[in-house]
Amino acid sequence: MSLSPLGASRSLAALFTPIKSGGLVDEVCSRIELAIETGLLSAGQRLPNEVELASALGVSAVTTREALSQLRGQGLIRTVRGRSGGSFIADDALPSPDKARRRLASLTRLQITDLSLHYQAIASACAALAARRATPDDLETLHELAQGPGGGVTDPLAWRMTHSEFMLEVAAAARSARLARELLRIQAELGTLTLLPFGDEAFRAEASRLHEALASAIERQDPPASEALVRELIHNTSSWLLDELSAGPLSRKEAAHDPH
Amino acid sequence: MTRTDATDSPLTPDITPASPAAGPAEDTPESLRQLDALLSGLTAQLAGWAERTTDWLGRTSRVTSTSVDKFVRPAVETLLQQPGSPIAGAGFIATLGLLAPDRSYMAWWQGDDMERVDALANFSPQPVSRYMRAEWFRVPVSTGKPHVTGPYIDLLCTDEYVCTFTYPVFRLGAIAGIVGMDVTAQKLELMVLPLLRQLGPTAAMVNQAGRAVVAVATSTDAGDAVRAAPGARSHPVGGHFTVLTAVEPAS
Repeated sequence: MSLSPLGASRSLAALFTPIKSGGLVDEVCSRIELAIETGLLSAGQRLPNEVELASALGVSAVTTREALSQLRGQGLIRTVRGRSGGSFIADDALPSPDKARRRLASLTRLQITDLSLHYQAIASACAALAARRATPDDLETLHELAQGPGGGVTDPLAWRMTHSEFMLEVAAAARSARLARELLRIQAELGTLTLLPFGDEAFRAEASRLHEALASAIERQDPPASEALVRELIHNTSSWLLDELSAGPLSRKEAAHDPH
Repeated sequence: MTRTDATDSPLTPDITPASPAAGPAEDTPESLRQLDALLSGLTAQLAGWAERTTDWLGRTSRVTSTSVDKFVRPAVETLLQQPGSPIAGAGFIATLGLLAPDRSYMAWWQGDDMERVDALANFSPQPVSRYMRAEWFRVPVSTGKPHVTGPYIDLLCTDEYVCTFTYPVFRLGAIAGIVGMDVTAQKLELMVLPLLRQLGPTAAMVNQAGRAVVAVATSTDAGDAVRAAPGARSHPVGGHFTVLTAVEPAS
């Protein structure tokens, strides 16, 4: 290994890593996945044809075709031939606890704790700034989102969406574009994982309490309390996931109901 | 990149008389005049585009996604690609029902390479509530008047700290949607700060909610709540902002 300043600098090396080809295809796929996940595109819905999709996304038809084939491979869309054919969002395309559990099983404890620490560092910086900078409008949105997806809703998907919107609103109230983009990136990396704890009623209740407490700490302009609360919220999520990982393939919550 | 002299502004600056002066500086009127011309020039572009859009909607018998794209895209291209343009993104968003019952439509592009924003939203069977609820859509649609939102972190389009300028457009007298443009807080700083500096060490341009958009003092960040310091003079600029010759933190 070279010991020249350039060779020693990992950050510089990262800068010169070639942008991987096929990036555009992945980008199109992730847009469509995100649209499915956020409910913008729903199961069974027909997708626009290749040409329409290509023009809407501003990419070539070749890229679109490749992306659709990748999505088909992942089972997110199904293609029907013939007159009434086309590409449709698969019925089981939505992020499911099963998929999330498979993802969790592929991770190590270290990956989970490290991601959690990164998330805590970014989110606590956002929360402290939000406590100084939030406007009355920001506070109103925070309190509204803190209440969760609404009375009686137990759907983990809806809870996960509201929770991630809440975290993004904290970042928006902090008014730092870099911190907000980093938070978005971390959320994307967490992906479907956060679906799992929100299937647990006790976790939902505690998350709700922390959301409310955090919104109030930001409102009374208390940066230390805001930081501590957001750390607790994220720590709760990662400890839940770590416990689940240790519990093995049979979840402690669903073990009683599992037919196998 | 950014225009700092405004001699080519399409508008004749109209300077509102300053409030009782505490200590008039000789150069005050000129830098203020330039500031007003800069910001008015920006909003005048949007006002003109809104007017042309209203005209077009009035004489188009059937408004479709294709016809909207065909009308809006070239206008956005002109706005984004004019030399030194401070505009990060621009477009049109239809009110529910303009194109089809219960459907909105979004024709918005950003960046030099004209990236289409959130194109998949238009294929959604549900109305896109996240746009309908945003301040930059809600306010001009409900008041029928132009509005500036921000500076705020825009996580829907640019992922940047921006001000969004929006103008209502109409079809046969009824509200039909908005045209708008995003200008990053950075671009506003580049445009406004050199002129603001001439007004005093704590001068600031603030929005209608009393938040600093650009401030001379480094202790004031864009977005901070400020108020006029004792003896400061206040001048409206560009229709949506106020220049204060001296500010202090609010509360």
